[in-house]
Order: sequence, then C-alpha cells, then structure tokens
Amino acid sequence: MTGKLAQEMLTGDVVRVAPQGRLDTFTVPEFEQILTEHLDAGRARLVVDLADVTYVSSSGLRALLSARRRARAAGGDVALCNMAPRVREIFEMVGFVSLFGIFASVQEAADAFSLDVSART
Amino acid sequence: MVDERTLTAPGRFESLAQISDFITQVARDAGFDEDGVFHVQMAVDEACSNVIEHAYGQVSGDIVLTCGVDEAGDLRIDIRDSGTRFDPDSVPLPQVEVGKVDLDDLNIGGLGLFFIRKLMDEVTFRFDAESGNHLTMVKRRPH
Repeated sequence: MTGKLAQEMLTGDVVRVAPQGRLDTFTVPEFEQILTEHLDAGRARLVVDLADVTYVSSSGLRALLSARRRARAAGGDVALCNMAPRVREIFEMVGFVSLFGIFASVQEAADAFSLDVSART
Repeated sequence: MVDERTLTAPGRFESLAQISDFITQVARDAGFDEDGVFHVQMAVDEACSNVIEHAYGQVSGDIVLTCGVDEAGDLRIDIRDSGTRFDPDSVPLPQVEVGKVDLDDLNIGGLGLFFIRKLMDEVTFRFDAESGNHLTMVKRRPH
C-alpha cells in the first residue's frame, strides 16, 4: 500500500484516514501503523474513509477492531464511511456492522463526533 | 478436472495480490457471477494468509494452487504448502453471530477460518509428512 494512504485533519480534532485498494494481510500493517501513530499522539477521533477500498480481509477487520478499542478507551472512536456494498457484505458476515458507526459520507462521520461532544456537554 | 490451472507463488504476504488476480480469473472463467467470484477470492485470500502466517512463520517455501472444474461443474481449489503442520481444530471459532457480538468479549482468533468455511461449500484440511499441508475447497456451481 506504500504511498497510497491519504490522511487529513478535519475540524473538531477528527482525523480522516483513507486507505486504498486491498486491505489484506500484506497491506494492513502500514494502515495499522498510521492508526497507531494517531492514537499514540492522542488523536482518538478517527474516520476511516473506505471509498477506495475494494476488499477487507480478516486482518483488516482485526486492525479496525483493535484501533476502535484503543480509541474508545481514550474517549474517542473509530467511525467508518463510504463503504462499498462488497465491503459492507464482509462486515455483515461477521456482525461487525453492529460494532462500528458506519456513515454515508466523511461529513456525516465527522458530524457524529461533534454531536457526541454536544450530547456530553 | 477440466481446465486445470496451477499457480506457484512464494509463501510471502506480497504474493496475495497476485494470488487474488489468479483466482478471480479462474472463478470468472468457471462461470461464477461476481458474488461467487468475490467469495472464492476471499476464501483463497484468507487460506493463503493463514499458510503464510502459520505454516511459513518459521520456514520459507512456496504456495501451490491447483484449480479446476470437476465433472459436476463445481470449482475445486487445492492449496498446498510445505510449511509447519496446520491443525484447524487448534483454532478457536470466533463469536461472530449477528447481533451477539460483544466488542470487549469478541474472540477474534479464527476469523479467517470462519470466512473460509462460510464462503465455500466444502473445506478439507489434510497433512502429509512428505507433501505438507493440503487444503481442498469446493465452491458449487450455482444452479
């Protein structure tokens, strides 16, 4: 995946991470490293934009689950968006659609973090 | 088997994309629709990931995929490696029933094996001291 992973800071300390292509056992370590770097730096509101992802293997699911656990422990979360039907099918097969917040767009995912903050204050 | 095709690839994670391209073409040529092609691709990806991670964790070697359509029109895929013996019974099944997933309690091990068994119609693991691990998977032709 080297060089094919976009990242950007959105408003409200939300970070968008956008992997591309296949999230298989070869490409997942780099993706996981990016998520870990953000979490290590205290950035726990992560939006994973799956618009350009064609496949997620079990190692990709494990990486997302692990990141979500850490993010939630730090008061944040990992939200997913722009999931293609094929990728959604993978999440459905293992019941992961009930674990993650899944949104139609980056904006909706980012807004969910803002709403979450409003609800707490 | 009819139209038998073989791919030999190094047992490394870098090979997964090449293996995916190969099996995708095989499944398309065997007449599966895009759902079936995707399911076969995923099962093979998970199987080969297991081989590379477990069988070739300590030793190196090749993965040999042999695919073909049998008399019944079903797609048969054989995956062989010469690595460490793999015992599927040693892998705990994950708790992934829809609606019953508990994030903090989820046993995530065995997820790859779960996908393989869910996506393919027949899955058989064998081990032979001479030829190593031998996984046979069958995807029935949709009728």
